[in-house]
Formats: sequence, structure tokens, C-alpha cells
Amino acid sequence: MSTLSRPTRRDLMFLGAASGLSAAMTTLFATSARAGGTINFADIGVGDPDGNWSRYSKASGFNVNLVAIGNAPSAILNTLVAGGGTASYDVINIVGGMQKPLVDNNLIEVVDTAQLPNWAKDKNIGEFLGKGKPGFNFIGYQDKVYGVPTVLQGDSFAYLPEKTGNLDSYAALFDPKWKGYVALEDNYTTAGQKTALYLKHAKLAQITNPDDMTADEVKTVINFLIDQKKKGQFRVIWSSFQQAVDLIVNREVYVIDCWEPMVFVAKSKGVDAVYADPKEGYLLWAMAAYLTKNPNRSLETTKAAYQFLDFMLGGWYGAKITVLRGYMTNTDAPIYAKEHADEFPAGDAQKVADITANVRRKFAQGGTWQNRWPTQVDVYESEWARFKAA
Amino acid sequence: MARSIVLRAFLLLPIAFVAAFLLAPLGLTIAVSFWQRVGLSVRPAFVFISYLTFFDSVRFAVLTRSLLVSIEATVLSLFISYPIAYFLAFKTRPDATRLVLLLFTTPFLVNYVIRAFAWTYLLGRTGPVNALLTSAGIVNRPLDWLLYSDFSVLVGLISSYMPFMIFPMWLSLAGIDRALIQASWLLGASPSRTFFSVTLPLSLPGVFAAAVFGFVSCFGESAIPVIMGGVGYQLMGNTITSAMDVLNYPLAAAMSTIVVLAMAVLLLGWYLVFDMRSFLGKVLNWRT
Repeated sequence: MSTLSRPTRRDLMFLGAASGLSAAMTTLFATSARAGGTINFADIGVGDPDGNWSRYSKASGFNVNLVAIGNAPSAILNTLVAGGGTASYDVINIVGGMQKPLVDNNLIEVVDTAQLPNWAKDKNIGEFLGKGKPGFNFIGYQDKVYGVPTVLQGDSFAYLPEKTGNLDSYAALFDPKWKGYVALEDNYTTAGQKTALYLKHAKLAQITNPDDMTADEVKTVINFLIDQKKKGQFRVIWSSFQQAVDLIVNREVYVIDCWEPMVFVAKSKGVDAVYADPKEGYLLWAMAAYLTKNPNRSLETTKAAYQFLDFMLGGWYGAKITVLRGYMTNTDAPIYAKEHADEFPAGDAQKVADITANVRRKFAQGGTWQNRWPTQVDVYESEWARFKAA
Repeated sequence: MARSIVLRAFLLLPIAFVAAFLLAPLGLTIAVSFWQRVGLSVRPAFVFISYLTFFDSVRFAVLTRSLLVSIEATVLSLFISYPIAYFLAFKTRPDATRLVLLLFTTPFLVNYVIRAFAWTYLLGRTGPVNALLTSAGIVNRPLDWLLYSDFSVLVGLISSYMPFMIFPMWLSLAGIDRALIQASWLLGASPSRTFFSVTLPLSLPGVFAAAVFGFVSCFGESAIPVIMGGVGYQLMGNTITSAMDVLNYPLAAAMSTIVVLAMAVLLLGWYLVFDMRSFLGKVLNWRT
């Protein structure tokens, strides 16, 4: 996921914004019908179950007011600081790994996982995101839990087999055979990190840790990318969901560093695109729902916010989000979808099971965890600017 | 007397509005550009580190590119829009002029991002333009440079802002006293000499207004370079956004200040060279 686009997962956000608006309207009209209050939920467009919060509302007596926000660090901090967001929102659901700036600016609360019955049920947390695991950086900071994982995914790249044959390495992004037919994401924490993973595996550069490179390592990666750029390897650097989908669907490029849901969309448009299973592994990431530090929030609302976080770890919500967005959520989701045919038809239940199994396989295979806020984040940003300006 | 005070107070409202919502943020931006970044926060100070960082990095090259691309787009737009404005001012009936001007506003009913995406479809390797060129035998293979290139960025910028540039030039041309043009003819000047000695000089305030509008719009553009520019094509708007993504507000503010200064120089030139009262006076004169 990207700092620029993941923040955005822009297209998803735009898609979600409309449904978010409708959700907000729905809850607005429904408010008077219930005695409880409202959970103000800021989301980047991925966490909206099509405006259907009735299960949560029925259980808690609270409504949900969903507001679409951007996922760029600046957008999030602007929302929470300049926009008075901690007083406006109770929960924010964004791509995780943002704990350092959020905690250092006193914007989010430590999550008491004991208040989340579904926390222990979600095997994904224990296996991939718990303390001591590399994925902990997506939800924790300084040994404390701040985020509740809502979505997990492993990214690689997509290709058109009719043009390229089978591809199984990030080397395809830099293969001269596809010169001029390759696209990268405009994001140093995705494209940059995948490049680092490739260079490390191919022993083309000394990179100790692709997910938190030193300044010199970042420069090595960018020098490599600039060299590729000057050779004409890349057609474009994309920055929105729709742009990437169009590149695949219009066959403007044959190999593209992108997100798996883009391949789902391309396939739905009749394009035989494949999301690669690279031997170097995946770029792993997770979305996290954070509890904002709202000084005015009542104990009752805080309790409802915890119920909301627990609801997001539940089977129904997880299955719904997987069906709608194509991302793995929690391990209860496929079970719930299979057991509730009235709510999830066989096709949807199978989709949830397939996506969950596929993403869990990716996580088992490993790769590198995306780092949204690397130690040398300023160097990453300025070096990426150098690449783009070269 | 009381009425005069009320009137003055009423006139102060827009001034207060501009001060509160334009000048104050601008002043704050300039102030922040001198502040010091400490970790993820900023601390009030008076240091030039952000400006030094800007001039000592590739971002300065982005500024240069932004200037050049904006100048190119503005000049090309002027060459396209001036004849249109001239034709509308001198060669068409008023009702037809109104209709054509209205038509020039219709593209703006569509969001500019969607318009940019439409261009990527039209100019892509598999798009209609390349299909037409290859099927007509004009080229053997699709032209790569139609999209994700300097050319496509210029197409995007010109198509976005050129129609707006027609309006001030049309206003300026339509406001020219026809008697001056007729006098030139009567004194034996050729049509081209009349144009270069009378019409063009008198329309320059409108031309400059259009140029300022086009240049400022192109200079601040960020969506078109991203969507149509290819491998990391950046203008100043993009690099400012990029700095903000890592919370480097002083650097973003310094770059914004430089952009504002560039714009201010342009506007100052406009103010010093042209008498806007006479420009507006001509317009009012034409309308009566």
C-alpha cells in the first residue's frame, strides 16, 4: 500500500466515499430512532460494508457515521490535528503502520485488547501481527497495541500472460524484454520496497532490511530505478486505482506493480491478467482501526467504540468487506460466510474462502512488510522525488 | 452621514473576508516556511533551511520545469485562443458570440480529472487516435509519445485552460473603439498593419490577463501531470504535496511561498504595465 495512493487506495476511497455518504445519511436519519449515540468513523473507503451497520447498531444501540478521509500521512494528521479530528471521530480505519506519528502527536489511544472478545479468535493476529512478529509494526508501537487489524493483504505485481508468458519474479519489472511496457506505483513504500526486495534477492545490492533501509540503501535503490527509467523501462508511474486498472485493461502495459483488487476488476472486464506469485515473496501490509484520543468522549461512547472495534473483528463484517473489496479480513470471515448461506450465497462464501486462503498463503510465504513510516522517511521521500524528476 | 458609515462598513466586509481567508493563511504559509522542523513537529524560528533544501535538491529542477511547461502551454494557448477571440469579437453576430462562448464553458461541466482520464483513453497505444493513424497507414505502429510525454501534458494543460483564456481577450478586443480601426483604414494602413499597430496593442491588457490566468493555472496544476505525464512527471503542485506527505510543512511552505512570489511578480508586472481602469472602461464602453 502506498503513502500516496494507499493513502488513497484512491479509487477505493472515491468509490467508498459515495457509499460512505449514503451510510452517513442513513445513520443520520436513523439516529432519532435509537436511544444510543453515534460512533463517528473515519475510513479510507475500504471499511464500509455498503452502509449496513444494522448488526452493530442493534447490538450496541449506537449508530455509525462514516466519513471518508484520505490515507496519506499528511491527510490523516491534518484531519486529526488541524481538523479537530480527535474530537470529531472515535475510530479511524487506515493503512496501519502509522503509530509513530499518531502516538507522538498524542492522537490515538492504546487499545485494551481484553475488551475485544474477537481479538483472541482471529488467528491472523496471533500468526502474523502479534507482539514479536514483523507485522506488529502495523498495529503496535513501543510494545503497546494501538490498532485493530481490519484488512490484510500481500502485494506483488500483475502481468498479461498473453504478452509475457508466466512470470514469477520482480525481475519482470526490470526485464528489458518489456521495456516501455512496465508501470510502477507512485509510492516509495511499495514500488521502492519491492525493488529493494528484488535487488536483495538477486544479490544486485547490499540491502540488509528492505522494509527499513538506511539512507545509503535507499539511494542505491533509487539509482537503480533511475538507471532503468533512463533506459526507457517504465511507461508510467500510476497513482490511482482507476489509472492502474485502465493501464491493464487497455493493455497499455504488460507488467505492472499494483494491487490484487485491480486484477479482479480487470478480469471482470474480460482481461486475462494474472497477479504474480513472486519467488522473492510479497509486500505485506494491514489496515488498522485506531481509537482516537478524544477528550470529550463519554465512557458510554468509549464502550460503544470498543464494541465497534470488536464488530470489525467479527465474521459478518469481515466476510462482507472481503466480498466487497477483495481483501482478507479475519479468520472468522470464511467460517461465517459458509455457515450463513442466507446472507452469503455460495459464490460469495467461496470467494471469501478463496481470498482468505490465498492471502494467508502469501503471509506464510513471507516477503517484506511494507513500512509506512520508515526511520529514514525523509530520505525515502526526497530520493523518490529524485527518481521522478530524473 | 450614518448612511455613509453603514456603506463603508458594508464595503469593509469583502476586505475583511480577503484578509481573514486569503492574506492570513498566506502570511502563515510564509511564516511557516522559516520555521524549524523538529521530529514530526515544527517550531517557530527564523531559519532558511527549507529554502536551502529546496534550491539544493531536484525540487528546484521541478520549479524550472514547471516554469517552462507553463510558459509553453500559455504561449500555445494564446496562439490558439487569440484568433478565436478575435473572430468572436469582430466577425460574428452578438447572439452567435454568446452561444459560442457558452459552448466554451461546457467542457467545465465535466470534472477535470475525468477529462484527463478521457485523454489517456484517446491518446493511449490502443486508443482511437493511434488506431486511426495506424489504420490510415500514416504510422506503422502506435505512437508512444502521444501519451505519457511532454506532448500529452501540454495537450492536457491547453485543453483545460485555453478556453478560459478566450474570455478576457474577447472582452479586450470587443471593447476596442471601432473608430480607431476605421481611422487606420482611412489613413491607408493595410489590414495587417492595422492589426499590428492598432488592434493588437489595444487588446494587450486582455492578452496579458489571459496569459496570467493560463500561466497561474498551469503552474499550480497537479492532476494532469500525474495522469498524463508518464514516469514521474511532476510540476510544483506535485512536489509540494509530496513534501507534505512526510509532514515536512516548512519545506512545503517554502515551495508554496516561492510559487506565490513568482505569481506576485507576474501580477505586479501586469499592474505596472497596463492601466486596468482603462481596460475595464473599454469593456463598459462596449457594453453600452
